[in-house]
Amino acid sequence: MKASRFILTALLSTLLSTGAMAADVVKIAITGPFSGGSAPMGLSMRDGAKLAISQINQSGGINVGGTKMKIELIERDDEGKNDRGALVAQEISAMGDISAVIGTVNTGVAVMGDKYYVEKGIVKIITPAAGSASMTQWSKVGTKDLPIFRFAAHDGIQAQMVVEQAIRLGLRKVAILHDATNYGVSGRDDLIEQIKKQGGKLKVVAIEKFAIGDKDMTGQLIKAKVSGAQAILIWGIGPELAAVASGKEKLGFKVPMIGGWTLSMSNFIDTAGAAGNGALMPQTFIEDESIQRARPFIQAYHKAYGVAKIPSPVSAAQGYDATMLLAEAIHEAGSTKPALIKASLENLKTTVKGAIADWKKPWSKWDPSNVETHEAFRRTNTVMGKVKNGRVVLANPSEKGVLEGKKTK
Amino acid sequence: MNAELLALIQMAVGGGLMGMAYALVAYGFQLTYAAGKAVNFGQGELVMLGAFIGLSLAGIGLPYWAAVPGAMVAGAALGWFVERAAVRLALQQRNEGWILLTIIVGLFGVSAAENIWGREDKPFPVPWPDGALEFFGISVTWPELAIAAGALGMMALVELAKRYTMPGIAVQAVSADPDSAELCGIRSKSAISLSWAVSGAAAAFAGTIIAPVTTVGPTMAAALTLKAFSVAVVAGLDSGFGLVLAGIALGSAENLSGFLLGSGWREAPGLILLILALALRPQGIFGKKIIRKV
Repeated sequence: MKASRFILTALLSTLLSTGAMAADVVKIAITGPFSGGSAPMGLSMRDGAKLAISQINQSGGINVGGTKMKIELIERDDEGKNDRGALVAQEISAMGDISAVIGTVNTGVAVMGDKYYVEKGIVKIITPAAGSASMTQWSKVGTKDLPIFRFAAHDGIQAQMVVEQAIRLGLRKVAILHDATNYGVSGRDDLIEQIKKQGGKLKVVAIEKFAIGDKDMTGQLIKAKVSGAQAILIWGIGPELAAVASGKEKLGFKVPMIGGWTLSMSNFIDTAGAAGNGALMPQTFIEDESIQRARPFIQAYHKAYGVAKIPSPVSAAQGYDATMLLAEAIHEAGSTKPALIKASLENLKTTVKGAIADWKKPWSKWDPSNVETHEAFRRTNTVMGKVKNGRVVLANPSEKGVLEGKKTK
Repeated sequence: MNAELLALIQMAVGGGLMGMAYALVAYGFQLTYAAGKAVNFGQGELVMLGAFIGLSLAGIGLPYWAAVPGAMVAGAALGWFVERAAVRLALQQRNEGWILLTIIVGLFGVSAAENIWGREDKPFPVPWPDGALEFFGISVTWPELAIAAGALGMMALVELAKRYTMPGIAVQAVSADPDSAELCGIRSKSAISLSWAVSGAAAAFAGTIIAPVTTVGPTMAAALTLKAFSVAVVAGLDSGFGLVLAGIALGSAENLSGFLLGSGWREAPGLILLILALALRPQGIFGKKIIRKV
């Protein structure tokens, strides 16, 4: 009898304590392509976020309404595939105890999967997917209450910068190359729209597309070359961008390649080698330790993962800053409930010092007629990067001040 | 020369050079078909594994000239393994199970590659110079030339070995008539094993020469088996010279259709050729109709 009572108490106390333990953690999911062509972005984003999480947990966790709560991480590989991404989103939204999700690299994955989070009201910070469609899909249907936020320089900004750069270089005729994914197609449309918006100074002489997995871009490039293009404006991901760079070199087609931030992916830079030099792309972060603000993050990343080069510095820094912002929002909400976290993300009171900038109220109340309310980045905190001997450096050194945080919104 | 025509020639030449790689893989089909009347439908996966092994050997510090033969040795072992594990038993039981079994072994190879090397496409380092050569306005890169030279060289070497070495002659004897060959003291099983090993080595070699162009990844050769099979069927399963011509024709046709009709149509010519060949001339354009005496 005595023994059974003892066992009962022991069982009860373990039950209670596991219950208490479960209440003491904040569950966050990170999703992205950890394999496949977009993996450098997915892995860097994840590792940047994990760096933030380990720093937060080492300091005891997030203070949620007086209790210190550690972050518990759930990771899912969406392989950069739309259907797989939708399954992952379904799974995570069905778990029931996830407070927020960070991630998504491929715009198509956000388009296919985010509806499950919206249905359940689960907070998601999209980073680093840049395609316009992942936010405009909600403004188009006029969603009133949106738990999806973006922490990336969206393609609208990027296309604007690409066109600005082409005009700055004094070009008149350009060719647009893009991949056949949601990302590539919406990038092409953004470019065409921006060219119109910026006074039609550029003439598009060729528009060519390519598929994921294409290795031979000679055909598309010959058409661009024959039509007299002075630059290639391009929207695609690493492996195909590299194929375009080597095709350009093969044909002796020495024109600048300007495109989305994906031109900073390691699988573009490493595969293209010398042929990739000079490629220009918008960046929110440059892996350059001479930038005061960026140095601590860069050093911590190198040390934590034993690397000398971050595969995708932009993704890593965005993953890190997004996690810091989310942690602050959970703290300010004083709860792990997604609805309250969403409300505090829309109205952050404390400025968060990140690796990219000092984030002062990056998002505001969602307004379906203005996607900018849930977009953290503006043209003013984005710079132009350039590939130089295997790394991305500032294309215009005068923009260093932007990254130091002299101009944040 | 006008720009439009020059562009077409450029596309055809680039495709033709790549087509030599199809021919080399198709040659691997021919070798095993001649000796054992079976082909490896996982040949593309052997190409991929060969490229990965070559890359790994180069990664541990071996020079290119050692990494490539190393990959070929591994390819030979894999080819031999496929025959022993997947083909021999099915053929002994006189059924067509080897078709499915070779596909399964190939799929297993893809999974293994994903787990060992990951799914990322990796660049394959080569000793050739960067940049391109120009002939009459047509650009050709060194890796493309290496594909052509490598494919032709490899096929020539194996053809010579078939004619002038004892094992080669033994394999030919088994191809002609396994029973008579056995009566002359040739072990037909060994001859068949040898042909599969050489076929595997050729596939691995093809992997190392196409990798600088395609990069190395588990799916790099996904479409290659089908293309090489089209080449083998169009050319016929007993003409080495026909393979080269069919390979060049298919490579050029792919590039031209991609160029003229849009990049989505690149794969169409291979399939159309395969269907036409199977319907109109199943023994191949260069093949001999085999008359079976009963």
